[in-house]
Amino acid sequence: MLRAEGLTKRYGRREALSGVDLNVPAGRVVGLVGPNGAGKSTLLNLACGLQEPTSGSLRVLGSRPAASAAHLARVGFVAQNTPVYPSFSVADHLRLGARLNPSWDQGLAERRITQVGLDPGQKAGRLSGGQRAQLALTIAAAKRPELLIFDEPAAALDPLARQGFLVSLLEFVAELGASAVLSSHLLSDIEQACDHLIVLCDSRIQVAGEVRDLLAAHHRLVAPRGELDRLPAGVEVIRTEHHARSSSAVVRTDLPPSEIPFRAEPVTLEELVLGYMWRATAPVAVAGEEARCSG
Amino acid sequence: MFWLNWRQFRLQALVGALGLALVAVYLLYLGMDIRDAYDAYRSRCTGPAGCAQAGSQFQSAYKNTLLFLAGGLGLIPVIIGMFWGAPLIARELELGTHRLVWNQSVTRRRWLIGRMAFVGVAAMVLTGLIALLLTWAASPYDHVASDRFGTVEFGARNIAPIGYAFLAFALGTIVGLLVRRTLPAMAITGVVFLVVQFAVPNLVRPHLMAPETASLPMTAQAINQAKNLGSITGAPVIGGLRVPGAPDAWISQTSPMRTADGRTVDESTFNECLNAPSKTGAGGTFGDAAVCLSELDLHVDIEYQAASRYWSFQLAETGLYLLAGALLTAIAVRRVRRA
Repeated sequence: MLRAEGLTKRYGRREALSGVDLNVPAGRVVGLVGPNGAGKSTLLNLACGLQEPTSGSLRVLGSRPAASAAHLARVGFVAQNTPVYPSFSVADHLRLGARLNPSWDQGLAERRITQVGLDPGQKAGRLSGGQRAQLALTIAAAKRPELLIFDEPAAALDPLARQGFLVSLLEFVAELGASAVLSSHLLSDIEQACDHLIVLCDSRIQVAGEVRDLLAAHHRLVAPRGELDRLPAGVEVIRTEHHARSSSAVVRTDLPPSEIPFRAEPVTLEELVLGYMWRATAPVAVAGEEARCSG
Repeated sequence: MFWLNWRQFRLQALVGALGLALVAVYLLYLGMDIRDAYDAYRSRCTGPAGCAQAGSQFQSAYKNTLLFLAGGLGLIPVIIGMFWGAPLIARELELGTHRLVWNQSVTRRRWLIGRMAFVGVAAMVLTGLIALLLTWAASPYDHVASDRFGTVEFGARNIAPIGYAFLAFALGTIVGLLVRRTLPAMAITGVVFLVVQFAVPNLVRPHLMAPETASLPMTAQAINQAKNLGSITGAPVIGGLRVPGAPDAWISQTSPMRTADGRTVDESTFNECLNAPSKTGAGGTFGDAAVCLSELDLHVDIEYQAASRYWSFQLAETGLYLLAGALLTAIAVRRVRRA
C-alpha cells in the first residue's frame, strides 16, 4: 500500500525526511506517531502528492502519488487543520465532492452529515473545529477511496470532538473496507485506532510494524543497578532508566523470555513509543546506541 | 469543474457584471451625445474656415472625456489581474484549501486549466465588451480627430484591450502561484502590468512592423500644421506633424530639425527664430517664427506607419499579448504540479 525507498525531502538545507524506507501492507489502520516537526506531515504530503520528494521513491497503491485522476480517486486525504472553503455551505462542499469525483457516494455523504448533526445550509466558515473536521472527513471518505490519509486531523480538537472524530473515522474505514494512515502526536489517538504503528522521529523512522508484533517483541526488564550491562546477544536496549537501587530498560528481542536473565514485563504502547522517541532525541551520551537503531 | 468554477467566481462575476452594466449605460448615453454633437458639427460645416472651427470645437468638447475613459479602460485589465488573477491560486494556498481541492479526482493541472479558462474568458469578455462600447461611442470623434494610433487611443479601441485583459489575468495568476500570498501578489501584479502598459506602446508597438521613412521639408506651411515647436531644453524639435497626403498615418519617430547637409540645426539659430524672428506679419500657428525657420531650408526625417496598417497593428498587438499570456499560462500549469 505504501512503499518508500530512500525517501528524502529537504527544505533548503533542513532535512524533513532522510532516507526513509517503509513498506506498509494494505488493509491496515496505520498510526504515524512522532513529536512535532518530526516529518509526519512531510511524509503524508508526499504520500498524497502535495509535495515531491527531493530524492528516493514513494509508491502509493502501486503508483506514483497523485499520478492521474484515476489514482487521485483511490486516495482520500484530510489535511492538517482540515481546510474547507469558508464561504461554501456544507451542501456546497458535498456538491464539490460530487462534481469532482466520479466515484462519489452522495448517499453515504448525506447520511454522515445528518448523523454528525451538520446543517447542510451552514457556511463552513461558521463551523466549529470538530464539525469542520467531520465535514472534511466526509468529503474524503465519500469518494470511496481505497486509502484514507489523515494528517493530524484531530490535533486542534477538544477531547470530546476528537473522540467523535476518531469514531467516525473508524466507521468510515470499516464501511469502505479501506486502509488508512493517521498521523498524530497524541499517542492515545493512535492506541485507540491503529493496528500498525510507525514511529517517526528526527526525520527518520525509528520503528515500524504491527502493533501486536511490536508489543510482543518489546519488554521491560528490571534489574539491580548496573546489571543491565550484561545482556545476551539479540537483545537491543531502547531506553534505560536508572533509579536508586535498580535499573529498568525497554528492550527489543525475539528471544523467548526464558533466555532473558532478568524479569521481563510487558510494555505498553506508550512506553514503547516514548522509548524510541527518547532514544532518537537523546544527546551524545547514547550516541553509541543510536548506531544500533534499526528501522 | 464547471460548477466549482462558477461557485468560486460568482461573486466576482456579479461585481464585474454590475460594473459592466453601469459603464455600458454611461457609454450608450455618451455615444448618443457624441452623435448629436457630430450632427450639429456637420450641419455647421459650411465653407473651409467655419468647418475647421466647428471641427475643433467638436473635438475639444469630447477630447478630455474620451482620454479619461481610455485611461479608465486601461485600468480594467490591471484590476482584473489584481482581483481575479492574483487570488486565483494564492487565496487557495493561503486558506489551505488547495489541500482539499487538489485531492479530489481531478489532477492539479486540469484544475488550473479549468479555472484559468473560466476566469480568463470572463476577463476577456468583460474587457472586450467595454472596449467595443467605447469604440462605438467614440467613433464619430475618432473619425474627425483621426488619431487612431495615439498612444492611449490605440490601446482603448477595438480588440487590443482583450489581449491586455488576458495577459494581466495570466500574470496575476502566475504571480499568485509564485508569491503564494494574495496581497503581495496583487501589488506585484498591478505594478508589473502598469510597467508593461507603459513600455509596450513606446518601446514595442512602433517596431511591430517595419516603418516607412520620409523626409519632410520644413516650409512655413508645414511648420504651422505642427502641434508643438521647440522644447524647454532648447532642442530644435517639432511635434504633431502630419504626413502630406496621408493625414491618418502614424508618425512613430520624428528627428530634430536638420539642415540640408543632414546635421541637426544649431540650437542658437533655431531659438533665435523662435524667440526674436524678424517681423513679417505672417499668420498661422507659429507666425513669424515659421517664416524665419522656413528660410533656413530645414527638414525632419520621420518614420511612419500608413493608416491602412491600423488593423494589422491591432491584430499584432493583441496577438502579442495573447501569446505572452498563453506562455505564462503554460508556465503556471507546469509549475502548479510542484506548488
